[in-house]
Amino acid sequence: MRKLIISIILGCSCLLAGAFPQKPAVEGPVNDLASLLSHAQVLELQHMLVDFADSTSNQICVVTVNSLEGMSASQFAIQIGLEWKVGSADFNNGVVFLVKPRIGSEGGEVFIAVGRGLEGAIPDIYCHRIVNDVVIPYLAQGDYYGGIKAGCEKLMAYASGEYKEALDYDEDDEIAGIIAFLVILFFVVLVIMAKNRNNRGNGGNGGSGGRRGPDIIFIPGSGLGRSGGFGGGFGSSSGGFSGGFHGGFGGGSFGGGGAGGRF
Amino acid sequence: MKKGFSTILIVVAVVAVLVMWCAGKYNGLVKSEEAVTAQWGQVENVYQRRADLIPNLVQTVKGYAKHEESTLTEVVEARAKATSVNVDPSKLNAETLEQFQNAQAGLTAALGKLLVVREAYPELKADKMFLELQAQLEGTENRINVERNKYNEVAKEYNTAMRQFPTNIVAAVFGFETKAYFKADESASKAPAVSFE
Repeated sequence: MRKLIISIILGCSCLLAGAFPQKPAVEGPVNDLASLLSHAQVLELQHMLVDFADSTSNQICVVTVNSLEGMSASQFAIQIGLEWKVGSADFNNGVVFLVKPRIGSEGGEVFIAVGRGLEGAIPDIYCHRIVNDVVIPYLAQGDYYGGIKAGCEKLMAYASGEYKEALDYDEDDEIAGIIAFLVILFFVVLVIMAKNRNNRGNGGNGGSGGRRGPDIIFIPGSGLGRSGGFGGGFGSSSGGFSGGFHGGFGGGSFGGGGAGGRF
Repeated sequence: MKKGFSTILIVVAVVAVLVMWCAGKYNGLVKSEEAVTAQWGQVENVYQRRADLIPNLVQTVKGYAKHEESTLTEVVEARAKATSVNVDPSKLNAETLEQFQNAQAGLTAALGKLLVVREAYPELKADKMFLELQAQLEGTENRINVERNKYNEVAKEYNTAMRQFPTNIVAAVFGFETKAYFKADESASKAPAVSFE
C-alpha cells in the first residue's frame, strides 16, 4: 500500500517535472545543488544544522537549485519536503529552505516550507518575515551564505522550543519495558505454579523454598529491561556526523505551510 | 451416503474460502475508502480555513478602499456560496465534486479581483494587518494545493484497487463507487497570482 503511494507520487512528479532533484544519496541538511556556497561554508552550515537536529530532532534542510522546473517556489519546496521526507515521521518536524539564485534577468526566489508539526511554532507569517526581512536583504546583495545562515538561525530560534526529545528513544524504551514486563510475568507465573505444586506436595517448608525463587529469577528480567534502555539511547545518538539527521530524513510530512519571497 | 457427506464437506469448505476471500477484499476496500474520506476531510478543512480568513480580509480592505463596495460584495457572496456547498463524503462522484470545485473557484476568482484592488491603495498595501492576512491567504492556497493533490492520490489508489479484477466483483456486489478527482481548473492554476512581492 505504502509502496504504491510512493510510486504514484514519484510517477506523477516525474511526469510533471522532468528533472526534479532526486533525494540525495547522502541525506544531509545542506544540498547546494546550485553551487552557491564554498566548501567551508557548506561544512559550517552543516555543522550548525546537524547540531540543531541532534538537540531538538527538528530537521532543517537547505536546498539551492538553479531551476524550479516550471513550478512555483512554494510547490517546489513542498514537493522536496514531501518526497525527501524531511523531518521525523512522528513529529513531522522538517523545514525545507529553498533558494533559487538570481540568474541574469531571471529573479531569485526563496521559499521556506514548514512541516505540519512545526506549523504552530513557525506560522506562515513568521516565515514571511524571516524571508523578507532577514534573508532577502542578504541575498539581494549576492551574499547567499549570509542570508541562508541568518535565515536558519531565525528558524532555529523559533523551532527550538517545539520538540526537545531525541528521536526513537521513547518507543525503544517502551518495547524494552514490555519485554521486561513479559519476562517478569512469565517467571512470576512459573513461580506461582511451582509454589502451588510444592504446597500440595510438601507443605509449609516447601513454600518458603519456592518464595526464594523470584529473588534470583527477577535479576535477568530487570537486567534485560536496562539493556533495552541502553539500546534506545545508543541508537539515537549513534551515527556520528550524519547521526544528527538520524541516518537521513525521517519521513516527515508537509501540509503546505510556509512562505516565500522574490528578490 | 458417505459420498454425499464428503461432497457437502467440500462445498462448505469452498464456500468458506470464498467468503473469507470476499471479506478480505471487502475490508481492504473499506480501509481504502476510509482513507479517501479522511483526506476529503482535510480538503474541506483547508478550504474552510480560507473561508475563515475572508471576513477579516474584507474588513481590513473596507477600512482603506471605500469605493470597492462591489468587489467586496462579490467576495462575500462567493464565500457564502462556497461554504454552502457541502459534499457528502460518501458521494464523491464527478457531479458533486465539480459543484464543489466550481463554488470554490468562484471564490478564488473573487479573491483574485480583491487583491488587484490593493494596487490602487498604497496605504492598504502597507497595512500590517493586510500584509499578514495576505501571507496567511497565500499559505492557505498552498495548503489547498497540497491537500487536493493528496486527495487525488488516495482516490487514485482506491479507484485502482476497486476496478481491478477480481476485486471489482466484490466492489460491484457491495456497491462501491469510484471517487472523482480534482481537476486542475483555470482558477487553481491562477492561484499563484495571489503570491506577493
